[in-house]
Formats: sequence, structure tokens, C-alpha cells
Amino acid sequence: MSLAVAGLCARRGSRAVLTDVSFTAHPSEILGVIGPNGAGKTTLFECVAAVLPFHGGTVHGEPLFYVPDAIRPWPDQTVRWTLELTARMFDSRLDETLFADLDLVALQHATVGSLSKGEAKRLDIAMGLSVPRPVLLLDEPFDGLDLRQTRQVMSILRRDAAKGRTLVLSIHQLRDAERACDRFLLLDNGRSVAEGTISELTSRAGVSGLEEVFLALT
Amino acid sequence: MRSRDLVRKEIAELAASRAFWLLLVIVGLLTGQGFITAVNAYAEASGIGGGAAALAQGLSPLDGILTPTLGAYDLAITLLFPFVAIRLVASEKSSDALKLMLQWPSSIGSQIATKVIALIGSWIVSLVPFFIALALWRGYGGHLHAAEVLNLLAGYTLRFLLIASIAMAAAALMSGAANAAIIVLAFTIGTWALDFIAAGRGGIVQTLASFTPTATSRGFERGLLRVDVVLVMLIISLLGFAIAAIWLRLGRSIRTRLAHSAIAVTVAAIATICAMQVRASFDLSKNRRNSFSPSDERALAGISDPLTITVFLSSEDPRMTDFENNVLLKLRRAKRDVRVIYPLAGRSGLFENDARYGEVVYQLGSKSAMSRSTTEEIVLDTIYGLAGVRAPARETSSYPGYPLAKRASGAEMVFYVAWPIVVAVIWFVRRRSLFGTERSAGAA
Repeated sequence: MSLAVAGLCARRGSRAVLTDVSFTAHPSEILGVIGPNGAGKTTLFECVAAVLPFHGGTVHGEPLFYVPDAIRPWPDQTVRWTLELTARMFDSRLDETLFADLDLVALQHATVGSLSKGEAKRLDIAMGLSVPRPVLLLDEPFDGLDLRQTRQVMSILRRDAAKGRTLVLSIHQLRDAERACDRFLLLDNGRSVAEGTISELTSRAGVSGLEEVFLALT
Repeated sequence: MRSRDLVRKEIAELAASRAFWLLLVIVGLLTGQGFITAVNAYAEASGIGGGAAALAQGLSPLDGILTPTLGAYDLAITLLFPFVAIRLVASEKSSDALKLMLQWPSSIGSQIATKVIALIGSWIVSLVPFFIALALWRGYGGHLHAAEVLNLLAGYTLRFLLIASIAMAAAALMSGAANAAIIVLAFTIGTWALDFIAAGRGGIVQTLASFTPTATSRGFERGLLRVDVVLVMLIISLLGFAIAAIWLRLGRSIRTRLAHSAIAVTVAAIATICAMQVRASFDLSKNRRNSFSPSDERALAGISDPLTITVFLSSEDPRMTDFENNVLLKLRRAKRDVRVIYPLAGRSGLFENDARYGEVVYQLGSKSAMSRSTTEEIVLDTIYGLAGVRAPARETSSYPGYPLAKRASGAEMVFYVAWPIVVAVIWFVRRRSLFGTERSAGAA
């Protein structure tokens, strides 16, 4: 088991945003965290990554790295500078193949602040993949990508997971989630509603397909 | 290795900031203006215009050249550097880069430390115009006393660190760069107000005011190095950096961060109170303006009874200022147990009908004496009279003075033309080397 979260609770002011959330993730697995807007997906990731405080529960497992959604870190620096810095901070060397894999070759000398939404998203994914941590949390990795890029990123993530890394992805597009993930954690209103493979979820909900599961359980 | 990478990152971020390059240009222009005006005024006081030269002993490069030239940095530290320091923290908060940095193996404390190192580097780079001014002054044949220069630079560097720490703490605490800037400006204005209110008041207010950035600069500008001032400024600076590190730990609850802040403030307060008890100070001025003559200092040190001085002067009376700067400052350095009472603190003195107004009452042990004079010789004679000590023979000052009747030739070209061009060229070359292919990348 790479990551075990048990009974996680978090509040914003007096409002509970996560209540007793538990899940596990295993090596070489891609776990998709799905749920309606405001379900607490991003809060869950930030609590697990310890960049947001939580008020109850435990997080155990191997070292992890979390890439927030839609960030443009160090907007005055170049794409190459950002990726090299990220790798160096973990005593690692930048994998040059990431540039080609994520269509970043032509953008490596562009400033991060000048990137489009999709370009910034590919940079964010590259940053995550350049960090040698056994568990990687990506918030909305397909948001802003076109169909071809989405498939390309899915294949890169699949390849990365096959090498032993655990990937936990927050995805609001259920079709993308269905294609990319091995198992799912369904969140609703800050609570974990269900966890399992697509067949486990469909049999529990008595429906077919992830979209129907989503509608039935949330 | 990783810390070197962190320092490189911060330097790259500083260099990417247009505010920093603009600051360099402005500091160069202001330094040039201060230097040229100072050199020309100094030349006139030295008799270049054909008029009578001022008494040579009164011509000190510390007052005449160094302090007005560094005046540009007073402005830069107060109004420009805070924005550079705020940007180093606030931009990473607003771009969410901080969320990545919090996951790096380096602690946020060491990341703050590297930001401080980069800021000190930027401060040293910004001092280049000042060093150019010193070189020009030497080139004109002017005199410099190394201890005065180093002391003055130390004072401004401490002031820079203090403001940088306040700026970084404000950037960590507040939600945006604009809010942080307001906090820093409020702090600066608050210290100005404290400085103004405390003049001639005595007590805790005056003690506190003696540690404001403006007041501390005045000491360094007189060639005085007070160990308590250095320690207090370092402690407050460290507190600011610690508060920044505490509040950037987003994964800690607000309650935990408040508790850690309270601990840091308590530790700093205790350390500050201890530091304020340190009396050691060094007169590094060439003309010993912060000291009585050695024979007077020996005589005063031999008086064991505590001395209480009651000054019936308002805080805005010029005699009060002279008395503070030319007598009390030296007396406090020469004799440990001097207590000064200011009964008219807070009054303007313009419409005083008090019969005692202008009196200075000295009490040494059971004896007391009154005088209306605020000059050094009469004050010392009064104290010696009370102590029953023979006044030592007056020594004449050995300070020769350093007049220089030369204009600031060539300085306009250096500061107003060459410096902005050099800064612009370095900025442009650096930008081209980093982003030279950006346009083609964008086209691709």
C-alpha cells in the first residue's frame, strides 16, 4: 500500500469540508477521485499533501508530491528553468524525454506566465513526473487539454504507473476518469461515498457506467 | 548542493523582477544627486568660490559627503526595497508556487534564509553607486576614514535587514502584495511618529524610539556604534524572518501558527530587553564627536555617585537638541549611572511662563546645583564641582578637518548617463540570453 488515508476531517472556518474521508492507493495503481463540484476533491489533495491543515484523521504512506490545478509557478521564468529547478530540488536530473512526450520542446524557453491554459497544464504534469516520489497527486490533469493531448497524457501516466508509481488523479470529466483510472474514490459533500473498481461501483449502485454510478450515489 | 540551487533560484527571481532593475537605476540617480550636491557644497565650505573657508576642523567627510550620499539609500530602503522583498514572497503565494515549495525536501526556514541571502546580495549590488561615489571622492583627493565608512554601511545594512524582514513577514501574513505594502508603509510611518513624539520625553517612549530605523541611522551617521542598537535590530529582523517562515507553513492550522508566532515574539521580546541592557558603544568617528576628551572621561569614570539631571526644556527647544546630542549622549557613554528627567516633555515651549524654564538641575549624591547653560564645558565643570573633583586641563581637539575645494567633475556623466545605460544593457543582455528563443518558440 502506497497511501492510506483514514478518517480525514477538515474545516474552513466553522464549515466542515471533509468528513471522515478514508481511502487507500496501491503501487502501480491509478486512483481517480471523482465527485461533483464542491465535493472536496482539491481540499482532500491539499490535506493529504500537507499544504492545508486538517483537523482529524491520519495520512500514512510513502513520500508523495502534489501538483495543484491550473498553477503557473514562477511566471517570469522559462519552462526549462522551472522543470530543472523542480528536479534539482529532489536531487534528481530532468528527464529530457518529458519535453518531447508532453509537446514542450518548442516551449522550453517560453516564460511560464506566457503559456496558454493547455500549455501550463502540460508543464504542471511534467513537473509532477519529474519528481522522483512514489506517489503523485495530480489535480485535474486533463483540464484544458484537447482530445489528442488528453489521450497522450493518459498514455504517459499509464506508462509511469506501470513503472511502480502510484497516481491519484482528481478528475471531473467522468469519461476521462473511466478511461484513465483503475479504481475510483467517489466524494460527495466532503464524504467518501464509495471506493472500488468500475465493476464494484456499478454492482453496488445497480447501474451501468461511471456516469450512472455518479448520478445514483451523489 | 540543494541550498546553492535555492540561492540560485532566488537570485534568478530577483533578476527577473523589473522592480529590482528599476530600483538600481533610481538608486544610481539619487546617489549621484546626493553626491554631486554634497561635493559642491563641501567645496564651497572649503572656499572654492573665493569666499572664506569654514574652519577646517568643521569639515568632516562623514557629515559633508558620506551621510548625504547615503541619503539616497534612506529613500530606497524606505520606499523601494520593501517592494522587492514583498515580491519574493507574495508572487510565490499568489502563483501557488508556494504549494510546490512546501513539498520540497528543504524546510521553509531554509528557503526563507536563501531569500534573505539573495536580498542581501541585491543590497550589495545596489551599493555599487555608493562605492563609485567613494572612488570619485578619493579621486578628487578627498579623505575617507575606513571606520566611519564601515560603520555607516553597517548601520544602513541593519536598517535594510529590518525593513526586509518586516516586508517578508507582511507578505507572508497578508493575502496580497498590496496589503503587505500597506503594512510596511504603516510600520515606517509609525516609527516616524514614535520618533517625533519621543523627542525629549525620556522614559520608555524615548528608549523605544531610540531603536526606530531613523533614530538608529542618526547614531551611525555620527560615527557611533551602539552594541544594544545592533543587537536589537538583529533580533527584530530575525523575528520578522521567523514570522514569515511560520506563516508560510500553510499546512499548519491558524491556531498553531498563532501559537508559534506568540512564542517567537516572546523569545524576541526577552532577547530585546536583555540586549537593551548592553551599554557598550564605540565612537568610530575620526573627530571623536561622541566622546568627551580622554581626561574628562577618566575624571567622570572616577565619580562613583549616581547623577540625576532634570532638564526644564521642552522637547522642541533647539537647546534641548544641542544638550541631547552634544552633552547627554557623551555623558551616558562616559558614566554608567546617569538618569535624565524631562518634566516639560510634550510641551512646545513657545508660550512658557514657568520661572524654571531653561534650568538644568544636577543632583549628585546629596548635593545639587542649577545651571542654565547647555554647553559641554559648563556642564562638566558643574558636575566636577558637585563631585569635588578638580577639572582636568582642557585638551584641544587633534582633529585637523579635511577641507577639499574641488567640484564634482565628471560625476554627472557617471551617475546620470553611464550608470542607467550599464544597468539597462545588463538587463537586456541577461534577458536575451534567457529568452532569446522565446519569440521563435512562440511562433512555433
